[in-house]
Amino acid sequence: MELRNFVFRRLIQVVVIFFIIQTALFLLFRLAPGDPVERMVDPTMTPEDADRLVAVLGLDKPLWTQYGIYLKNFFQGEFGTSFYYGQPVVDIIRDKLPNTILLFTSSVILSALVGIALGKIAAWRKGTRTDTWLTIGSLVTHTVFLPWLALLLIWIFAYRLGWFPITGMISEDVWLDPDAGLWTKALDIGHHMVLPLATLFLIHFGSSLLVMRSSMLDTLKEDYILTARAKGLTDKEVRNRHAARNAALPVVTGIGLSLAFSINGGALTETVFTWPGIGRELVFAVSHSDYPLAQAAFLLIAIVVLVANVIVDVLYAYLDPRIRY
Amino acid sequence: MESVERFDTSGMKRSHWLAHFLEGWSVFIQNPLGKAGVGLLILFGLMAAGSVIPPWIDPMYQPMTGVDPEIASSVGPSATHWLGTDFMGRDILSQLLAGARIAFMVGVSAAFMTVVLGTAIGMTAGYMGKAVDTLLMRLADIIMVMPTLLFVLMLAALFGQLNIWTIVLIIGLFRWPGVSRVIRSQTLSLKQRPFIEAARVAGASHLRIIFRHIMPNVLPLSFLYMTFRVTSAITIEAALAFLGFGDPGTVSWGMMLQWVWKTGHMFQAPYWLLPPGICISLITLSFYMLGRAMDEVLDPRLRKEEDAS
Repeated sequence: MELRNFVFRRLIQVVVIFFIIQTALFLLFRLAPGDPVERMVDPTMTPEDADRLVAVLGLDKPLWTQYGIYLKNFFQGEFGTSFYYGQPVVDIIRDKLPNTILLFTSSVILSALVGIALGKIAAWRKGTRTDTWLTIGSLVTHTVFLPWLALLLIWIFAYRLGWFPITGMISEDVWLDPDAGLWTKALDIGHHMVLPLATLFLIHFGSSLLVMRSSMLDTLKEDYILTARAKGLTDKEVRNRHAARNAALPVVTGIGLSLAFSINGGALTETVFTWPGIGRELVFAVSHSDYPLAQAAFLLIAIVVLVANVIVDVLYAYLDPRIRY
Repeated sequence: MESVERFDTSGMKRSHWLAHFLEGWSVFIQNPLGKAGVGLLILFGLMAAGSVIPPWIDPMYQPMTGVDPEIASSVGPSATHWLGTDFMGRDILSQLLAGARIAFMVGVSAAFMTVVLGTAIGMTAGYMGKAVDTLLMRLADIIMVMPTLLFVLMLAALFGQLNIWTIVLIIGLFRWPGVSRVIRSQTLSLKQRPFIEAARVAGASHLRIIFRHIMPNVLPLSFLYMTFRVTSAITIEAALAFLGFGDPGTVSWGMMLQWVWKTGHMFQAPYWLLPPGICISLITLSFYMLGRAMDEVLDPRLRKEEDAS
């Protein structure tokens, strides 16, 4: 019951935050220097079509009316037409969003799990060579410049060794082959995903590892660990069942705080690997002055980050009952 | 008489402060992370300072405009170009040195802005409490979930090419929430201390309490956060430049990587691909290590734990 209340409260907060972001974006688009009509209406349109669109969006009406129309359009999934592709923005987003979610969630989960597991080991063997190397390794991979790491991985593993495709998400010949089953196709995507996933994983696991390590060191000093040992439990039981479970809580908080950072990294990774995701679409739209697409892509990314935030919070509340009261 | 006395107290204060600093420094420099971080930063500082030398030797070493008249393409290292040239025949080493200057400039100024804003907002929220606190912290929550890089991209779409100072300003405006949260909780605990109560009873104004009694106690924390913010500012600027939205008038390491990538030289010219990436990664690493080492200096509890084992 308390958990449900908690989730409900968080959801309301998130909706309010989204609303504020959306309003800020609306104001930016209307109030930035230059003609807002130019940003909403495709320059290649005929004057009649352009006039009709201006009327539909209410660009000739006061700001309040425009805002009302803007909100209504948003809830009806009406984001306008992309200048570059000439097709509805919502179709483009619908195609790209799942690809981003696939890469984003798998990288966040993988780096958290590996970070927790390795951080546990580093803390348990504090002061040994294993600990030193794990700490140095995570410091270095955590601060390496992401696009450069991506280029290096492509250069070594795709170009030199030829183990993985250089860019993209699917191979055309596999997907055009009528005999190819679902399994073959999934395997093909997986093959393309190895390098982008490795890039994001290498950048992110370090912070989880470092947080887990220091939190585990704190936990190991607690009295209940002493009790567990006194009870005669084996080292492994003390480590995994008593210490690690509690120590993992700050890691979950850390993940929640770094979600925005992860989505930045996701957009960079998608761009370098030409992974057909929404982050790459945003970068592309910005460089082609495709305003409707850029705006929708940004809002959708904001939603992804906010939803992920709620999921992390709920996970935290589930893991730590104290939060719920 | 009075002036002598004042001189004395300030002298005492200074020596006290100095002793504190020296003690901190000795702990800091014994820390392997601190040592490595300072060493690397000195190296980058020398690079930034040395960036004036190549253009002074020969105008063809101008990082942005200088072109070797005999080379118009990317060629590997040679005696005249120690790290080779880029696609237009510009010297990579001079660009790398100029990039160090930009990285320091962007990193330190953006981090300074972030920390000033974060400290001011954190202290206000913590000290005032109630509605002001709620309002400021909700604002922090909202800004915290915004992906800064992507938001700057949106601004680039709306306002066109951003110059380097605008980028610094935006990074500063967007990275304060983390700092302000920490400063706020520190202020909250300071507020309960007797000396604040004493100052209030003595009739000190709110502003005086904040600046005279609270600020000196939170500043060390602010400095700690400044080193971490330097890393994020450098990374964001580099990523922006890499995506092609940097200031076209500056040579930053991110810009150099964009040139390698966009001109399709990444597979042919490792002498061009490797140096800027190594520099960005190492400078962020060194500020990060500095921050972690400072963490141990500022938090004696952490230090003792480290010693005990």
